[in-house]
Formats: sequence, C-alpha cells, structure tokens
Amino acid sequence: MLSVFDLLIDYIKTGKIKLDKSRVKDKITYHDPCNYARKAEMRLGYGYYDEPRWILDQCVDNWVEMYPTRDHQLCCGGGGGTLTNGYNKERIQYGRLKMEQIKATGAQMVVTPCHGCHGQLNSIKKEYGMAELEVKYLWELVADCLVI
Amino acid sequence: MQDTQPIHDLTQLDHTRYKSWPFNQDICLTCALCASACPASGIDALDPRSLVRQVGYGLEDALVAERWPWICTMCAKCEHVCPMDIQIADMVRNLRGLRDRQNVPGILQQGLEAALETGNNLRLPQEDFVFIVEDVGEELAEEAGFENFKVALDKDGANLLTTIHNKLVNTHTEDLKHFWKIFHAAGESWTLPTDNWEGTNWGYFTGDDEAMKTMVGRIVANLDKLNITHLLLPE
Repeated sequence: MLSVFDLLIDYIKTGKIKLDKSRVKDKITYHDPCNYARKAEMRLGYGYYDEPRWILDQCVDNWVEMYPTRDHQLCCGGGGGTLTNGYNKERIQYGRLKMEQIKATGAQMVVTPCHGCHGQLNSIKKEYGMAELEVKYLWELVADCLVI
Repeated sequence: MQDTQPIHDLTQLDHTRYKSWPFNQDICLTCALCASACPASGIDALDPRSLVRQVGYGLEDALVAERWPWICTMCAKCEHVCPMDIQIADMVRNLRGLRDRQNVPGILQQGLEAALETGNNLRLPQEDFVFIVEDVGEELAEEAGFENFKVALDKDGANLLTTIHNKLVNTHTEDLKHFWKIFHAAGESWTLPTDNWEGTNWGYFTGDDEAMKTMVGRIVANLDKLNITHLLLPE
C-alpha cells in the first residue's frame, strides 16, 4: 500500500516526471483533508502534512498557508458522508468558516487531495460569493504542470 | 523516546487505537474545549460537549434519533483538543451505526447496498464501466504527448492497482485523466480492475464495520487475483 503523496514524491525525486513551475500563475492555498492529516495522525500515528506541501513547492512558487492550518485545519464540511445524506442546508452553513479562511488568504485557487473536500468546496463556493475560486485536486495540479 | 521517525511501516500500526474503550465518555471534564473547536457548533444547536454528556447519562436512544451525528463530519477537531482524549468522532460513528438501517439519511444506505450487491455504489454494469473508461482513455489519446495512451484493464502483474471514486465514471469523467496523465508520463505499470473498482466505502459513513470489511476484502482479492503488491486508493 502507498499513499498518493509517497507515489507523487517518488515520481518527482526519481525524475520519472518533470514539472514546469512557470505554468500556473494563480495564487494558491492548500486545504488539509481531515482524513489524511489530523485524523490520520490521531488514529494511525502519522499525518500527511509536509508531503503535500513539498509537492506544492515543486509545482508553484506562489502558494500560501491558511490560518489555522495543519492539525488545526478546519474541516470543509463535506466529510463523513454529508454530501450525500441530504442535510444540504446544514452542510453549506458548516462550510462558512472554511470559505472565510480561504477568502482571507486572497488565493484564487485552493488545492486539496480529497474527493470529498473537492466536491464540497466546489459546491458551496458560490454560496459565499466566491464562484470564481478554482478548486483543484493536488494530482490535477501536478498533471497541469507535467512536462511531456 | 528514541522512536521519532515518521511511521511508514504499516506493521507498526496499533489497530486497537481504532476502538473506543467502554465508558470513555465518563471521564469528560465538561470543559467545552470540544464545543469551542468544532466548526459545526451551533448548527441545529449541535454541541459536542452535550453529545458526550448525553452518552454518559445513557440518553443514547435520543442521540440515535438526533440529526447531530449526521451533521457532524467526524473531523476530530473536538477530540484533538480534548484534555481527556475522549474519542468523540468514533462515538459519533457508533451512534450512526445504532440507527435502523432504513432510517439512515439521504442516499447513503442505498449507495452502500448497491455496492455490496453489485461492487459499486452506482449499480453500474461492467460493460458500461469498461465503455466509459475506454472512451475517456481514447479522448486522452487525442491530446498531444499522450498518443499511445491506453487504459490498462485487469493487467496481471501490474505494479499498481488503482480504485475509482464512483463520481469519476458518472458526472466527473474528465477527472479520470489527471492520474492517467501522470502514470503515462512516469511510465508506470498500472491497472484498473473491471469489477469491484469502487474506491469509496460508505460503511464508514453509516457506521457499518461489516460492510467496510467486505468492500476492503474485495480490493484485497483483486490484488491477489492480479498478482499486484501496490494499491493506490486516492479517496
């Protein structure tokens, strides 16, 4: 078994893939998914905080942290099945703090390595006047920077 | 003390840490750090301290009928700050699991039953799955630099088995291409199974451990069947 982070880092470090850092110009911020970060640390003894940040560093120069971050990161509100349990009003309300956090960074793009977070952030951004915010998977950003 | 290396070796993991010990809730100091940390505090009057206290008072039935355990995302902000290390997120998941299956909200139970019966949450037949992924693969092969791209299905002895989030063969097929591009550029030997490809495991959300085991078991069976040692599960 391996994590998406370990795999991407291996590809980059061994030169199997090459990335062009000049391609993506948007200011980016990074969202830690609970299950790869805080919850992985608490339940499995290791949280993936540094690895995605290292990968971001290989893709772009212009990225900033949210506050609070890493193990104190706020949940986006899309976890635990809330995207499919029908409580949509509550789910949108849940995401308010997350959207304020993103807005405060001034980023045009938020990157995350989680299908749930990706779906939630895309689903609620217009509710908070942030329809222009681009939401990308970490591996999508890597694919966008690939030198073929 | 000397073991400060990050844990990457899964054999070191202690799986008993998944289990809340009985009466965990009874050591609550009622400090309310959980309520202060919770991003969902106040939504539908949700209050994690109250939830823990209600479990302690034996008001479990009321909580099982409540909406709180389903509004909570089990993000564990609460227990991250809990001075008594009460496993509140697991408590919430246990409460979810105690609810009658026909009263699980939304489409969670239907999706899970579909997965248990057919191998995926969508009840997508195998031939439709193969058609979709091959069609998206042909689209990718039309892009410059990916001319030789082919989706590798059921490839015996591949280095990497991948699973798929069902939305990628439903409403978000474009998102299949990101990893495929990376695999192609890296020269990776990868494959996608044509059955039991589902990467989500909704038993996690409904509090159903048996269903989770079944879904995980099928992925392991695919690894064995195709003689593959590495699993990439980007979910």
